[in-house]
Amino acid sequence: MARVLILGAGIAGHTAALHAKRLLGRNNEIIVVSPNSNYNWIPSNIWVGVGKMQKQQVIFPIAPVYKRKGIEFHQALAKSIYPEGDSQIANAYVEVSYTDPGRLNQVGKIEYDFLINATGPKLNFAATEGLGPDGHTVSVCTAGHAVDAAEALKSSIEKMKAGNKQCIAIGVGHGTCTCEGAAFEYTFNVDHELRMAGVRDMADLVYITNEYELGDFGVGGMVFTQRGFQTTSKLWTESLFRERGVRAILGAHVEKVEAGKVYYEQVDGTKDVLAFDFAMLLPPFRGVDLQAFNKAGDDISSEIFAPSGFMKVDADYSGKPYEEWKASDWPSTYRNPSYPNIFAVGIAFAPPHQISKPRKSPNGTLIAPAPPRTGMPSGIMGKLAILTIKELLNKGPQAEAHSASMAKMGAACVASSGSGLTQGSAAAMTMFPIVPDYEAYPNTGRSLKDTYGEIGLSGHWIKLLLHYMFIYKAKGRPGWQFIPE
Amino acid sequence: MENQNDSIAHAPLPTAKTLRFRKNLLIQVWRFVAINIKMLNMIRKGHHQK
Repeated sequence: MARVLILGAGIAGHTAALHAKRLLGRNNEIIVVSPNSNYNWIPSNIWVGVGKMQKQQVIFPIAPVYKRKGIEFHQALAKSIYPEGDSQIANAYVEVSYTDPGRLNQVGKIEYDFLINATGPKLNFAATEGLGPDGHTVSVCTAGHAVDAAEALKSSIEKMKAGNKQCIAIGVGHGTCTCEGAAFEYTFNVDHELRMAGVRDMADLVYITNEYELGDFGVGGMVFTQRGFQTTSKLWTESLFRERGVRAILGAHVEKVEAGKVYYEQVDGTKDVLAFDFAMLLPPFRGVDLQAFNKAGDDISSEIFAPSGFMKVDADYSGKPYEEWKASDWPSTYRNPSYPNIFAVGIAFAPPHQISKPRKSPNGTLIAPAPPRTGMPSGIMGKLAILTIKELLNKGPQAEAHSASMAKMGAACVASSGSGLTQGSAAAMTMFPIVPDYEAYPNTGRSLKDTYGEIGLSGHWIKLLLHYMFIYKAKGRPGWQFIPE
Repeated sequence: MENQNDSIAHAPLPTAKTLRFRKNLLIQVWRFVAINIKMLNMIRKGHHQK
């Protein structure tokens, strides 16, 4: 009997847990450690952030699901990994601090044979002075943040109805942020809400982003085929901005936020201030505060984790110049090179490099969108780790690992606004692969057949379908395993 | 970065016909099916890596 310990119950960790029970559970022990008591379908936080959905529609208690499935759940925060054990415990283990109110702040040690690190990101609001719910901006990163964002937006709309013009700033709050797609989606949800409230003409809607061009989305942009022509996501996105009357501030690193003021620097070195009445700026991510120690008790965190705090896996971290990067630099098995029984999946793994070209301003400020690795890729990686563990258990340590490189998998991004079945619209995009592979696809780096974008009501239906389908899947209802990641 | 919004100002603007196309229920039902098939094909490729 082996014990599989999964840290995190987001898309990657929860997917891994459900598949682990299904594929390994009969003879093996599955344990999940997560500091949160709820599962959150994060893509729908955008709708909570404009008041179109209630918080309870995007979260549900996770402990009953694990109880029903026979998965052991510890509501706790992982603090330290001891991959060799220590002087008192021979086996590898993780030290945790309980967040469960019944055992608050108690320390536990959970041994494992296989460890899956799916801890996701630390929301690094502290990287930018004044950023975030404790500062002067709102966020939609958690369901709770999204509720606060909806309240602040509602207040702004009321002021517009009273005849006061408002500047609405939406985007990212640092030069190295990721998830520009979420900021883009929130922008057009807010635009939709303002139109519905009849106050669109009272708002200056500004999208502030670290992307060098619109349509970059942290993946270096895309090339689509439309009506017999190749077009770019830049042109496609600019068209949407023109149609909806949204201004853009591009290539921007937000230096600090004060009450009603965003101070930013752009790639060309110019510095400026944007006065705002409402601002939703996403934070940069870094790895969670996990440490690692060897058997002697020496800190080996720098061996296990990249400087960003994300865990090292089977990627090329040699730091080659951008021009020399290749699709093959990206990991495929997500196993830690020092400890192959440790996997890091979803946002928790350290990407080898940015996909968008990193740039520096003349002042030396790095403005480089980080690669997105949320949603679908996270789920696939979570399942992959379990498939590899199954092989290892069945065939021994020499068994071949399963592979799921982001340079060989696609992703869908549906940025939807509105509500109901007839009042919405969405920009639906897919790309294949996520990481461009110029050896396989010499012209654009991606398959033109599988990379496309389309705007319309149908995309909104798809986003609604995904919402209900993935919450059904996450609850482990009958047939959940037939819903792809 | 002074002229970043010039590019937006000169981007293609959808015509009234295109905007109607994006809301037409019959057309959008067909697009819903088509996009889902495209997404399923893309997902299948990602799930079956050698």
